Amino acid sequence: MSPGGSVAVGLRDETVDGDWRRVHPASPFVRGWVALAAVGYFFGRDAFERVLQGREFVDPTLNSRAPWLLAGGAVLLLLTVGGFILSWYFTRFQVAEGYVRVNTGFLFKQQRQARLDRVQAIDIVQPLLARIFGLAELKFEVADAGESAVRLAYLPVDQAKQLRATILARAAGVVSGPEAAGEEMPEAPEHVVLSVPPGRLIGSLLLSEQTVGILLGAAAVVGVSVLMDNQAIFLALIPAVLGIGAAYWSSFNKGYNFTAAISPDGIRLRYGLLDTQAQTLPPGRIQALMVAQPPIWRIFGWYRMHVNVAGYGAAGTEGAGRTMLLPVGLKADVMRMMSLVLPDPGVDDPGKVFTAGLTGLARGARSAVPSEDGFVVTPRRARLLAPLGWRRNGFFATRTALLIRSGRWWRTLVVVPHQRTQSMALHQGPLARRFRVADLVLHTTAGPVSPRVFQAGVEQAVALFDHQAARAREARKRQTSEQWLAQVAPQAPEVAAAVKSQPQSSPSLQQQEDRQDG
Amino acid sequence: MPTAAIDPPGVQWLRVSPKYVTVRLVEWAIGNLVLLVILSLPLLFVLLGWWRWPPLWLAITVPAVMLGLALWRLVLIPRQVRAIGYAERDDDLLIRRGIFFQRTMVVPYGRMQYVDVAVGPVERSLGLCTLKLHTASAGTHAHLPGLPAEEGARLREQLSARGEARLAGL
Repeated sequence: MSPGGSVAVGLRDETVDGDWRRVHPASPFVRGWVALAAVGYFFGRDAFERVLQGREFVDPTLNSRAPWLLAGGAVLLLLTVGGFILSWYFTRFQVAEGYVRVNTGFLFKQQRQARLDRVQAIDIVQPLLARIFGLAELKFEVADAGESAVRLAYLPVDQAKQLRATILARAAGVVSGPEAAGEEMPEAPEHVVLSVPPGRLIGSLLLSEQTVGILLGAAAVVGVSVLMDNQAIFLALIPAVLGIGAAYWSSFNKGYNFTAAISPDGIRLRYGLLDTQAQTLPPGRIQALMVAQPPIWRIFGWYRMHVNVAGYGAAGTEGAGRTMLLPVGLKADVMRMMSLVLPDPGVDDPGKVFTAGLTGLARGARSAVPSEDGFVVTPRRARLLAPLGWRRNGFFATRTALLIRSGRWWRTLVVVPHQRTQSMALHQGPLARRFRVADLVLHTTAGPVSPRVFQAGVEQAVALFDHQAARAREARKRQTSEQWLAQVAPQAPEVAAAVKSQPQSSPSLQQQEDRQDG
Repeated sequence: MPTAAIDPPGVQWLRVSPKYVTVRLVEWAIGNLVLLVILSLPLLFVLLGWWRWPPLWLAITVPAVMLGLALWRLVLIPRQVRAIGYAERDDDLLIRRGIFFQRTMVVPYGRMQYVDVAVGPVERSLGLCTLKLHTASAGTHAHLPGLPAEEGARLREQLSARGEARLAGL
């Protein structure tokens, strides 16, 4: 990110006139339905409790209190609705001159602007209630920690899609300059690459680590209750069961109907049962990628994929749920996603290399460097440090990315494109020094993936450390997003055709990417 | 100071100012003495007979162990300071630290988002400063303490200029 900064929060006067728009009038109600529900709950609970206790529905003393109650309720309702209307009136947004600007606030005004060419990802979110009204929220991410840079809630779905297309087109440099300000961009065509059937999703949830933990916990509880001859302990489990059910439900709700598609804008992910989301990741915005396989999933050959994207933030923040690239998929799905994210794997036989990364295990007898599948694994002398994983822990540097595999039981493969490497560190503790090994940590933006080469031999680790810096430098100069589309084109002919029909896009795309990465 | 095994070959490390030992000593004294005093309070109360619990041996052992650890850390400070090093290369900055747990880090100039120079009260009286490099990754955490003020200023200007020249997006 340039020192110019992408998000400037200030109270500058409106520098650009014209084309300020408002969000949909119903949006404060959709957003604030919780407040309305709370008012309803507050008054309803009283009556409900009386019914439960077997008394009459209406409080017998109500007559004397009615005027006060009505007046109080009216004032509360008026304040809420008035606040909604004011907040709607003072929220305005504009897309112009390479910036998206949003003004909010009535007493405390806030003007925020974000540079379009700094967009890292753009999402369309539809919570259930918004979906009923045909509304959608647009989220716009720049490289920042956690919080979305710009959120527009809510717009009619068509308008949201239109705006997304406009922003992405401008971000890619297809349209620039004020002469095209009023012109609306057609939505980019897309080609569905893969989808996750619901059956597999349910299966993956039932066989996840979470389930194993629950079964162990349940066994422990049953054991304790048998030993102590006490049945009351089961009552204490009710909240836990509810919580677990909610966790499964939210995973299912989130992963349902997961589809991935490619379009000239980038990779488009759609998912959700009640609340639907459509994420768009522009090409080359993925900082690091992880393919993981819990032990039980091995029976079915399932994998899951997560990514680090600047702006989505670290685990536990608002954007954390959006780092999922594939909730569950077969190896073929993983390979297909990999080919979208990393169109040029930089090796002659990518299938073989990635298979080795996913499932490979070096032969124990000879400690050849590198081992027969190309991965440099922990030297045999350090096998006591990682008695299970030493044949698995390894790395492989292709021309475009560094592949790091680890875990004998919890298999993971981490891929970091060379041009996304931020900084690196070698770590060596006293024990590691004794066995002449070292760990190499790659630093990427905040997210679920933390690339680390475990227990590489000192010579190999130092060589990698030294070469990786040079590779990263070279790769930054080479990569352009134009190549990205050309390389995935064979999988999506109509998308490629659509781009060819807009010949002006290519040079400006190139220019754009040069400015970003050069 | 011999070059450790995990350092890249052919790197000439620049060392930080030996005066940084004083800063570390002050930090050590403040941190450990306060902790030691707090942990010794039970011993005092037991000796005065105000408290029946903990038993005397426990009341003695806890602060004694703490004292031992603190002294061990004290002995290590000069070596730790000598182990901090940095090297400017053509395209990146190398930073190393640690004796038992060694860490060698490389930060490409083009990846630096901004550079901070921080000065604490003790450092100021000794004419030292701390340089902090920030990349887009929170994991970078590249601190270079104990630089003489003019060296810190020079490095900051140098790094900013080189970063500007090699500026890259994410």
